[in-house]
Amino acid sequence: MTRTMLFLSTAMAAALPAYAAPIADSAAISGLGIRNIGSATMSGRIAALDARQEPDGKVTLFVGSASGGVWKSTDGGTNFRPVFDKQPVQSIGAVALDPTNKEVVWVGTGESWTRNSVSVGDGVYKSTDGGESWTNMGLPTTERIVRIVVHPKDGNIVYVCAPGKLWSDSADRGLYKTSDGGRTWSHILKGANLSTGCSSVSMDPSNPDHLLAGMWDFRRKGWTFRSGGNGPDAPSGSSLRESFDGGRTWTALTAENRTGLPKGPWGRIEAVHAPSNPNIVYAFIENVRSALYVSEDGGKTFQERDRSRNMVWRPFYFSRIVVDPKNDKRLFKMNLRMIVSDDGGKSFADAAGGSHADWHDIWINPTNTKHIIGGDDGGLWTSYDGGNRWHKSHNLPISQFYHVSADDKDPYQVYGGLQDNSTWVGDQEYPGGITNNRWENLYGGDGFWAFSDPADPDYAYAEFQGGNVARINRKTLEGRNIQPQAGYKEKLRFNWNTPLHLSPNERGTLYIGSQYLFRTRDQGVTWERISPDLTTNDKERQRQEESGGITVDNSAAEMHTTIYSISESLKAAGQIWVGTDDGNVQLTRDGGRSWTNVSKNLKTPQGRWVSWVEASRHDPAVAYVAVDRHTYGDMQPYLYRTADYGRTWQQLAGPGTEGIRGYAHVVREDRANPSILYAGTEFGLFASLDRGRTWAQFKPNNFPAVAVRDVWQPAKEDDLVLATHGRGIWIVDDLGPLRALTPERLAANAVLIEGSEVQQRIRGNGGWAEGDASYSGENPPQGAVISYYQKARHVIGRMKLEVLDQQGNVVDELPASKRRGLNRVVWSMRTKPPQVPPAASLAGYSTQGQRVLPGQYIVRLTKAGEVTTMPLTIGLDRRATYNVADRQAQFAAAERVKGLFNRMSRLNADINGLRAQTDAVAKREGASARLKTDAARVSEQADALRKQLVATKEGGAITGEERLRENVDNIYGAITSVEAAPTAYQLARVDALERELKEVEDAFARLKAGDAQRLSTAMIGERLPAIDFAAAKLLDDDARGGPASALANGLVGTRYYGPLRDIRINARKR
Amino acid sequence: MLVLGLPLASPASGQTADELVAKNLAARGGAAKLEALKALRFNGKVRFPGDFELTYQETRARGPASDLVRVDMAVQGLTIMQAHDGAGGWRVNPFQGRRDSERMSADEARSLADSALLSGPLHNAKKAGSTISYLGREDFDGTNAYKLKVTERDGDEFVYLLDPDTMLEIKVTETRRLRGSPVIYEYELGDYEQVGGVYFPMSIESWGQGNPNQRSRIMIASAEANPNVNAQIFADPGAAGASAPSSSPQPAPVDQAEDAAPVPQTVPKVPNAVNPAQPPSDPKKPDDKPKSSNRG
Repeated sequence: MTRTMLFLSTAMAAALPAYAAPIADSAAISGLGIRNIGSATMSGRIAALDARQEPDGKVTLFVGSASGGVWKSTDGGTNFRPVFDKQPVQSIGAVALDPTNKEVVWVGTGESWTRNSVSVGDGVYKSTDGGESWTNMGLPTTERIVRIVVHPKDGNIVYVCAPGKLWSDSADRGLYKTSDGGRTWSHILKGANLSTGCSSVSMDPSNPDHLLAGMWDFRRKGWTFRSGGNGPDAPSGSSLRESFDGGRTWTALTAENRTGLPKGPWGRIEAVHAPSNPNIVYAFIENVRSALYVSEDGGKTFQERDRSRNMVWRPFYFSRIVVDPKNDKRLFKMNLRMIVSDDGGKSFADAAGGSHADWHDIWINPTNTKHIIGGDDGGLWTSYDGGNRWHKSHNLPISQFYHVSADDKDPYQVYGGLQDNSTWVGDQEYPGGITNNRWENLYGGDGFWAFSDPADPDYAYAEFQGGNVARINRKTLEGRNIQPQAGYKEKLRFNWNTPLHLSPNERGTLYIGSQYLFRTRDQGVTWERISPDLTTNDKERQRQEESGGITVDNSAAEMHTTIYSISESLKAAGQIWVGTDDGNVQLTRDGGRSWTNVSKNLKTPQGRWVSWVEASRHDPAVAYVAVDRHTYGDMQPYLYRTADYGRTWQQLAGPGTEGIRGYAHVVREDRANPSILYAGTEFGLFASLDRGRTWAQFKPNNFPAVAVRDVWQPAKEDDLVLATHGRGIWIVDDLGPLRALTPERLAANAVLIEGSEVQQRIRGNGGWAEGDASYSGENPPQGAVISYYQKARHVIGRMKLEVLDQQGNVVDELPASKRRGLNRVVWSMRTKPPQVPPAASLAGYSTQGQRVLPGQYIVRLTKAGEVTTMPLTIGLDRRATYNVADRQAQFAAAERVKGLFNRMSRLNADINGLRAQTDAVAKREGASARLKTDAARVSEQADALRKQLVATKEGGAITGEERLRENVDNIYGAITSVEAAPTAYQLARVDALERELKEVEDAFARLKAGDAQRLSTAMIGERLPAIDFAAAKLLDDDARGGPASALANGLVGTRYYGPLRDIRINARKR
Repeated sequence: MLVLGLPLASPASGQTADELVAKNLAARGGAAKLEALKALRFNGKVRFPGDFELTYQETRARGPASDLVRVDMAVQGLTIMQAHDGAGGWRVNPFQGRRDSERMSADEARSLADSALLSGPLHNAKKAGSTISYLGREDFDGTNAYKLKVTERDGDEFVYLLDPDTMLEIKVTETRRLRGSPVIYEYELGDYEQVGGVYFPMSIESWGQGNPNQRSRIMIASAEANPNVNAQIFADPGAAGASAPSSSPQPAPVDQAEDAAPVPQTVPKVPNAVNPAQPPSDPKKPDDKPKSSNRG
């Protein structure tokens, strides 16, 4: 009964989708897959970290990156893995290990180093399994958390210090406390106003109820920032608070009640106890005379001490103080350069060594205080000498790109600029992997847009903040500044992230925007100003010299009323769309002679930043706009489309739109299909296959919810290249299957998706052992990628994927992938390897077949009895210097060598068959002595022939033993491992080896006809069966083999088959 | 069509770990059928990342004290072997000219012991004193799966994701410690077929956590319930008193040493009266090859 009901309900559920139009949801599209190419060479900003010295000598380390999640190491940083990738945000502000329970880790999301590009969080998370899984424990509207303190004796008591929202008023900020492990929270310290939150909390090491908390009044807008009030003397909500009852009651510590503290108003505050001495308190207090204030009586009185540059510079970005756990006089202050004092803050020395600089947090190993691990804007650093010299981690690909582009090379290279980490060009395909050294630095400063010059690939364009664009010589790396200059008493307003744009119609024409649009057609030798001021020119938003609050901070990051996005139509030369950071969308249809503000009908809430304009590649009247309102405190995506040159706009995404979330950075129209749109937001990549009617997150399981700030479609491949701000560059290889997801296919049980012609790419050898502490980006799939779609996961019954030749012969059977939606399987495009006679060790070249010939093949998918097929066309590498005839000659030569191997295998088997029989006779009780002797002799003769065939010395040493098998293996390798027709001398070598083989065959034939036949006759005479010369039956093991390097790599790290990496090394030594 | 005859489970809320384990067991074929399995043999192929394919044969059997496993992978007539003999693990890697066995470290052997379990760590949990907890639902590539965690007494963990429609395992995450450092493998399972009335995956893909694009893939072509298994195949050939380790009728291809009697790559058809070169294992079953580990 139950069974029947269950079946019925399942049947009904299965029937339901038939009535709804199938939708390309996240699961349907994410099987397209994605790969990360890094890089970890520049790495990116680390906001917080915590670590623990384990009793077994290792160090457990959790690194909180500014916008790339949490990374865990159990070996002090040799190896990391991201452990926060399944969470909906990736910006980390605080990490704290529970001192009472090794399995408990707390993470506060939302970084509090509140620069212009900072991301957002959604509360506090807890792991109770050492970081493997996480639960959001609340405080979702705090947006950012800077410190978490766990009670040293009771892990249920936790304090969370939340500065709160950066861009808008909110009461959800300050200090929170839980006494039940995070189930409930008390808001124990609130700000004096809606812009004041918590900037630090410290617990007296001798009394966990004694707390010091810094409260910080701060606010950022698109055009200004303040730490403290609206100027050095303006009222500020910042204060330093003290509690002696675990946060129930608080007292403000001020100049009035604490000797030595400065007068207000104050800005950012950080106060910490020395772990080894509760009487020592160090407090950095931003004020008109910012300094380090030190108390030696537990906070009753203070003295002003150091106020050197690296103590007081940019307090909003650098405030952390870390005191040596053993030495109360030794403290580190984070800043541009980290500094250290050994005399309680009276004097400081540089402790940044050769680091990137811009330090945010360190951990000092309490068992060895010379061992320090820290994070800055360039990643993670380790010192073993107390902070004098630093070792860089090259294994954290948390790089924060703003933009990305690709050149026209084959394989193409990618170009992009990063937050505080310059502009780089990198490979996206390289033999052996895209290691850190496959990336090259082009320029300096903060990097943004970068392009190869399409008119001259020996040059690239790059910029640093504020529109400092340069033309870089790729050979000498000389950079020529070509930034347009202001006229008389004029100020050009270039955004922090100044847009550069290459004309899609004129090779080499480049645009740059300040408040004006500039165009150069001669590589920056001259610039034409082709627009009036396209912004609102709102003077209230041009007072950057007053920005900073108490400490002036005008770094170009607040420059406003600027052009932010430029897009020229491919369909209509001279038709250019421009978006500004203050909300304008402007259009010229005559190369800049006249401009129309087309944003009047763009219906958004008040206050908008046009983060992207995109001219359709298919229709000149169509354009797309992304509006980013996060600088107004609104984190929702806003996307629009016009089909009438901006007269009217249709909203494609807004608050509440399903399938897309996060403030939008970019919207792109697919190159081939105008119905497909890609949107990058602060929380990932989203796609629409129906022109924005529905959206789905593209989220392969290796891709976190990281900010996608740019999306690029390279000319050379049909790929999608993503610039993420926190996890480097990612590539979706081949968008073809996405375009194939028509409603009919989406409804199919299983359907193959035909692709374009596949290249047999040239294989090279690259890379070298870099150890375990180095990141390597992933190459594109090596082979033909076969795509199919299925509407449900395949669980029960066989699913079979085969490749057939034109005659219907099965060339290969591939493991079919099972997931719902798009699936992709890679085929090596190789034949089966030769059948090699067994010997002492592997014949290294002959483990794999030669490549199949270019031409037509058939893919066959069988699922639950349903069979579908599609054609697969294989062609040569575009870069080939050889032709199909060369490949045919190579194929034929390889087949001929395979024939030799077959003969050799047959011969070897026959010899062994004879030996087995004669050896048995030689040992047979009851046989005559003569017969035994003759049998042994025949066996020896046979064995002598065998030893001409195969190497037989065992023991694992490098024997260098080469017999026919090894020689044939070498010529097979020489013929098949290159991209060319075989040479005459290689073919001559095959002739010679065939002759040598023939001699052994003939000798064995003579043995069989002679001594062996005589022996057989004698055996019959002793009533034994005759020798069966056909006894040996050759068994094909049917293994396809593959490249020896793959075997070495593949087995290492899988289950315990033993170290095989030396297979490759031995092959080289041979 | 596919699910006909399968015990379908209700994806109702309020599941407990015990209920889910029971549903999975029912979906697999039931306790009685699982219990009736005394040995399993799987034959197929394994393909490593970078596209190297070997033949694959896995044999599991119930031993006197614990379950035993032997995996052989071959190419060019050279066979990589690894096995758990009930007391520990051993392996042979012949590719570099060595054919003697190596003893596995204790940590490796513990892992292999888990992969030997005929009923898998999930259904062996009660017997082994492991704890099972239900961790709610988790999306796995578009399937909203049930998540169960098995924590073994030694601290090693298996996280199972159960397909809500069939209640079969579609993913396993295995966390172990090798010399104190965590090593995490993930497995994706599919192509379930009945072996002795119990569903087993015929497709097993595995990868080191963080590298889902670098997968080892095992494709099982045939599986056999309760085959004849010579217990000797699990024994370490290097141990005193053990005999040659050929697990299948496909004999060890070459001689153990230069001067040893050859064991041909072939099966000599010798008349019954004289059978001089019979390899130690049963030659009539050339269908031995297996899959590994913890899919079931």
